[in-house]
Amino acid sequence: MKQILTVALLTTLLAACKKDQYYLYNDIARLQFGPAPERIYTTSFEMADTVKPYTFYYEPATTTQDTVFFDIYAIGGVSGNDRPFILEQVTLNGEENAIPGTHYKAFSDPSLKEVYVIKAGEVHASVPVILLRDASLKTKNVKLQIQVKANDQFQPGEIRKLWRRVNFTDMLSQPAAWNASAVQYYWGKYSQVKHSFMINQTGEKWDEEFLTYVNTDYALLTFWRLKLRTLLTDYNNAHPGEPLTDETGETVVFP
Amino acid sequence: MKLKYQILATCCILLISSCYKDQGNYIYKVPEEININGIEASYNKVSLVDKITINPTVTSTDPDAKFSYWWGIYETNVQGSAPKVDTIGRTKALDYLVTQPAKGWVLVFGAKNEHTGLSKIMTSNINVVTQFTRGWYIMKNDGGKTDVDLFLTPSAITPGSRMENVFSLVNGKKLDGEANLFGFYTNYKSNVTGAYANTRALFILSDKDASVVNINTFKEIHSINNLFYETPSVNKPGSISESSQANYFVNNGRLHSIYSMSANVGLFGGQQLRDDNNSPYNLSRYFLAYPFDNPFFFDETSTSFVSATGTGSVLSAVTDVSGTEMPANRNNKTLLFMGVKSTNPYVGIALFQDKTDPSLKILSTITPSNYALKMVNDTLAPTDKLYQAERFGLIVADENILYFSAGQEVWSRNLSNGAEQLQFTAPAGEKITCIRHRKYTGGTATEQAFYYNYMLIGTTGGGNYKVRAFQKTSGNLATAPDFTMEGKGSAGDVIYIAPPINNYTYPNSY
Repeated sequence: MKQILTVALLTTLLAACKKDQYYLYNDIARLQFGPAPERIYTTSFEMADTVKPYTFYYEPATTTQDTVFFDIYAIGGVSGNDRPFILEQVTLNGEENAIPGTHYKAFSDPSLKEVYVIKAGEVHASVPVILLRDASLKTKNVKLQIQVKANDQFQPGEIRKLWRRVNFTDMLSQPAAWNASAVQYYWGKYSQVKHSFMINQTGEKWDEEFLTYVNTDYALLTFWRLKLRTLLTDYNNAHPGEPLTDETGETVVFP
Repeated sequence: MKLKYQILATCCILLISSCYKDQGNYIYKVPEEININGIEASYNKVSLVDKITINPTVTSTDPDAKFSYWWGIYETNVQGSAPKVDTIGRTKALDYLVTQPAKGWVLVFGAKNEHTGLSKIMTSNINVVTQFTRGWYIMKNDGGKTDVDLFLTPSAITPGSRMENVFSLVNGKKLDGEANLFGFYTNYKSNVTGAYANTRALFILSDKDASVVNINTFKEIHSINNLFYETPSVNKPGSISESSQANYFVNNGRLHSIYSMSANVGLFGGQQLRDDNNSPYNLSRYFLAYPFDNPFFFDETSTSFVSATGTGSVLSAVTDVSGTEMPANRNNKTLLFMGVKSTNPYVGIALFQDKTDPSLKILSTITPSNYALKMVNDTLAPTDKLYQAERFGLIVADENILYFSAGQEVWSRNLSNGAEQLQFTAPAGEKITCIRHRKYTGGTATEQAFYYNYMLIGTTGGGNYKVRAFQKTSGNLATAPDFTMEGKGSAGDVIYIAPPINNYTYPNSY
């Protein structure tokens, strides 16, 4: 009995001795997403730009589509020929998934045939994702998650770098830079009413780009916080008994 | 018996351990001593003109000493980055053209005895200067425009020559309005050197305009139109000051600030709110400020004192210290003058006029305590000379005396007993325009000729100004000034600048 147990234990342990599948990237070309080329060797930016928020809100009514770009990299060296690659949408369970042809231009659309290509002699490409301004975006946010699909030119690269996502809408949405710290110290709780007030009163977009710029300078942050607080106070003074109230019924305040 | 042998053997073993050969070294050599001579404690050098030429003597008690040498230089008053030592020589004799921008630097000399490995380091302060970094500056107005004259002091505090209108000479324009107030700060942030860093900056405030210049070049860093994140709609500078880790600028009665303990670009923020309802307010140009305590301003709209922080959005409320003889809020007074009398303890002097009864004038000694004030009042009699005062100048720290002008005369008032004494009568045809106490003292040998303690009295007559520099003894002016600086126009403020002078040298005050 004791021998049987010993043999069984050794057999079990032996089963764990499996050669891990390491990619040496010297077999075939592989493809994966990455940060912008100037940050490709900065470890802290490895997973930058994984999710990009976008809104048509700031664009004129004549704008019917816009493009969001991601950076993609071929691994395994350059080629003398153009190498097409394939992207596919990943359906997110429980989320409002973007619909091809409605919210974005399908990757199989013939007009995009030439754009999903790693050019000859290169290992990097900017991947355009063409977002469509569908009327439904006026009332909801949708998510488009994409991933690399194997083809005759490329196999997928590192698993964690195979996907990217665009969250987009035609409404005001909370920019990524309006983060928890910004909520606590500078702009307070996010609401579309507050966001709209900030845009209308200051003439600034208060989008990701502007907030990122403001975040770089504490004195500038302090200036805008005071400016917004003053504007809100003046608004409330001009509307006695009717302070600015957000879409949830809460009075708008700046810290 | 056996036990005895055992004890004996044990003792022998223990004792034998003490029988060792003494290998001690009893040749006591005096430790090596390296002496360096021929390097002064400090040098003043003009950038791109002067050389540092030093050939020190280096000796050692080691007869076999063989030295290697090294010279380096690094800057002082650095904030936000570690100073970097630049190597400028590897021979004993240094002959180095100074290329550093005007400010304080430290010269380092190292001598290493290669025979023993012992090194000795010596340092010396290098004040890199330009023609603008030392001298008396007089802000004057002429024909509704303000400019600045510089009186050069190359070898002593008494000026040798004058550079007229240096502001417009360098910047190609004058300031609008009447000369008002200087403010000098060595921690003001600008990118005049290509990166944001502490800058020796002189604020020039007229009643309608303002400029901040780099004292090393006198080039304008910001005009009033780009000194704020948001250009003011009305240009009406009241004051510039430094207090509780921030710079404060009063424009059109509203307070703007720069929090100096965080990275900034030298721009003032928005108008601080009076309260959560954005009630109207209008700050007096007079203020109490001291870098290590809270600032105090007087809101003429509510006749109340207020304070502030550099990061706040709303002015801070001021309360009363128990026993105060005048409330800090809604006291129904007009502020005629206020200034710092001393910084340790932090005490100010203010002259009030009652709004309901304008004949009532009160001289108050103000002692701040955090965000509260204690005011001790001295009601003036109409017969007091101070009752007719037009211009004011506090003696800071030295004596408990307020100087003021009444007509052609400058009087002193002893704040302890109210005694008033005539100190100076301006010659016929001259009108007194400013009274300013300035003092620059210290223990640096090379600055001895420049240290001073003067009451400066500015007058104007016939389109020309005179600023007389009086020494004082126990609060009384000397019968004649040490020197008089003269130029065109009417003087509004006077300040002496030298390389070691920093933002703590002079109190922030009118």
